[in-house]
Amino acid sequence: MSDGSRSRLVKFGLFAAAAVLLPLLLPGYALQQVCIAIAYAIAIMGLNLLMGFGGQICLAQGALFGVGAYVTAILNSDYGIHPIATLPMSATATALVGLVVGLPALRLQGLQLAIVTFGIAAAFPQLLLKMGGITGGVSGLPIDGLEAPTWVPVSPELWLYVVSQCCAGIAALLVTLMLFGDVGRALRAQRDNAQIAEALGVNLTKTRLWAFAGSSALAGLGGGVFAIITGFISPESFLAILSINIVIGSIVGGVTSVVGAFLGGLFMVFVPTWASDINLSLGNLIYGLALILIMMVARNGVTGFIEKWLSTILRRTADNTASVKETREELT
Amino acid sequence: MSLFFQLVVSGLTTGAIYAALALALVLIFRATNVVNFGQGEMATFSAYCTWQLMEWGAPLWVALLVSLAGSFAVGVITFRAVIRPLMSAPVEAIVVVTLGIFVLFQAAGMWLWGAEQRSFPSLFPDGGFNVGDVRILNSTVGTLVILVMIAVLMGLIFSFTRLGLSMRAAAFDHARSVLVGVNVERMLMLGWGFAAVIGAFAAILIAPRLFLNPTMMTPILFYGLAAATLGGWDSPLGAIAGGLIVGVAESLGASYLSFIGADMRIAVPIALTLLILLVKPVGLFGSYKVTKL
Repeated sequence: MSDGSRSRLVKFGLFAAAAVLLPLLLPGYALQQVCIAIAYAIAIMGLNLLMGFGGQICLAQGALFGVGAYVTAILNSDYGIHPIATLPMSATATALVGLVVGLPALRLQGLQLAIVTFGIAAAFPQLLLKMGGITGGVSGLPIDGLEAPTWVPVSPELWLYVVSQCCAGIAALLVTLMLFGDVGRALRAQRDNAQIAEALGVNLTKTRLWAFAGSSALAGLGGGVFAIITGFISPESFLAILSINIVIGSIVGGVTSVVGAFLGGLFMVFVPTWASDINLSLGNLIYGLALILIMMVARNGVTGFIEKWLSTILRRTADNTASVKETREELT
Repeated sequence: MSLFFQLVVSGLTTGAIYAALALALVLIFRATNVVNFGQGEMATFSAYCTWQLMEWGAPLWVALLVSLAGSFAVGVITFRAVIRPLMSAPVEAIVVVTLGIFVLFQAAGMWLWGAEQRSFPSLFPDGGFNVGDVRILNSTVGTLVILVMIAVLMGLIFSFTRLGLSMRAAAFDHARSVLVGVNVERMLMLGWGFAAVIGAFAAILIAPRLFLNPTMMTPILFYGLAAATLGGWDSPLGAIAGGLIVGVAESLGASYLSFIGADMRIAVPIALTLLILLVKPVGLFGSYKVTKL
C-alpha cells in the first residue's frame, strides 16, 4: 500500500468514527449546530471543487447557498412538497443560477472575478427583499419540521443529523468521483496552466462552466439542508459576510480536501461562538487572532497540516523498516 | 437638468470616499501584490487614534501628524508580524490573514472606544458654494484635491524614482529582485507602511461625513474594491477615477432607473464594473501582464 492511500485510509477511518460517535456524545442543541456545520460543509465542498481544484475564485457561494435555501422553502411552503424531495430541485435550480454567475469567469480571472462575484453576494439580500412577493421579504419563510419516518426510532434532532450527513456523504462521493475522472484532470490542468491545457485539448469554456455548475449545485444542496435544519429562513441568514465566511471555512479546512470541508464547516459554526464564550467583549479579537495564527501554523489549511504530520509519522515508521532492509542488503 | 447635476455632485461626494479607500488598496497591491481586506479597518483605527489625541487636548494638526506616523508604524508592524512569515505561503493563506486583520482591528476599535458614533472635525472650512443651481460642498472639493495630489505623488514616485522602481520590482518578483540587489523585505515593509498612512488619510478625510465608529469603513469596502478593480489595480489615478465613476453611477442609477431604486443601488456599480471588465478585463487604467510560457 502506498503512503498516500494509507494516510487517506487512516483519515477516512477517523472521520467515519467521528461521524458515528458525534450524535452519541453531543446534546440536542449542539447536534443541531453540527448539522448546520454540515450544511455549510456541503457548500464548502463545492467551493473546494471550484477554487481548490478549478482555480476559479467565487465569493458568491453564500448567495448561491441562499438560492438553494429559498428554493427549498418556496417549494415546501407554497407547493407543499416534502422538504427532502425539494433537495434535488434546489441543487438543480442553483446549478442553473451558478452557470449564469460563472459566465464572467470565461473572461475574468483571479482578483477581478473575486470582486464581481462578491458584488453578487452583496446585492443578494437586497434582491431577496425586493422580491418580497415570492421570498416573504423581511419576515422570511417557514419550512415544515422534519419527522423521522415511523420505522426509524430516533429523536428529531438525530434524524436531522442523519439526513444532513447522508446529503454530505452523497456530495462527497460525487466530488470524489468527479475529481478522479477526466473532468477532474481537465479541471486541474486548466488551473495549473490554462494555455497549455487548452493546447492539449481541454475545452476551457466547458470545463469552467461545469465547475461553476457543480460547485453551485452543492451550494444549493447545502442551502436546502440548511433551510430544513433551521426550519425558517430570512434574508438575514444570507448576508455578504456568509460568502466570506464560507471562503474562510474552505481555506482554513484546506482547499483541496473533502474532509477539510467538514472541518471548515465546524470552524465556521463553532470557533466564533467559542471565542465569545471565552470573553464576550474580546470575542472578535480572539477570533481574528485565531484566524491569523491558524494560517501561520497551517498555511495549507488544517487538513494540509494534519496530512503532513501524519505522513511524517508514517514515513518515519516506513524509514525504519526500509533502513533495516537496506542494512540487510548491504550485508549480503 | 439641475437635478441631474446635483445628483452627479452628490455622486462625486460619495465617490471621493470610495476613491480614498481604493487608493490605499491599490498602493498596497502595487507594493506587495496583496489585497488587504483589513485596510479599511486599519484606517478607521488610525482615525480613532487622531480623535483620541484631540480628546486629550492635542491640536488637530499635531494629532494628525502623530497618528499618521503611528499608522506607518502599525502598517510596518502588521507586515513584519503576520504577512512576512507567510510570504511563501499560498495566496489563500494570505487572504485569510488579511480577513483576520479586518476582524482584529474592528474588534480592537470596538473594545477600546465602544460602538457609539462620534463626530470628527473636518479639515476644511464648513459650507460650500453654488454653481448655477448646484450646491457643492467645500469638503468634497478639498477631499478630491488632496486625493488627486496623493495619487499624482504616488504615481510620480512609482514611475520616476529609484525607490518606486525598487518597490515595483519587489512586488513583481521577489526572487529575481533580490538577485539584482533590491532589498525586497524593506520595500515590502515600506509599501505596507505607506499604504497604512494613505488609508489613515482616507479615513480622516471621510470621518467627518460618516461619523466615527468602528464599522465606519466596512460598508465601503466593497465599493473600494470595485473602484480599484474598475480603475485597474496598478494605477493610483485609476483608483480615483474608479471611485468617482462608481459613486456617480450609484447616485444616478438609484434615481433614474426606477426598477432599481434606493434599496438595490448596490447593483449599479456591480453591473458597471462587470460591463467595463468584460470589455477590458484589466480595468480602465490597468496594464496587461505578459507571461511567458
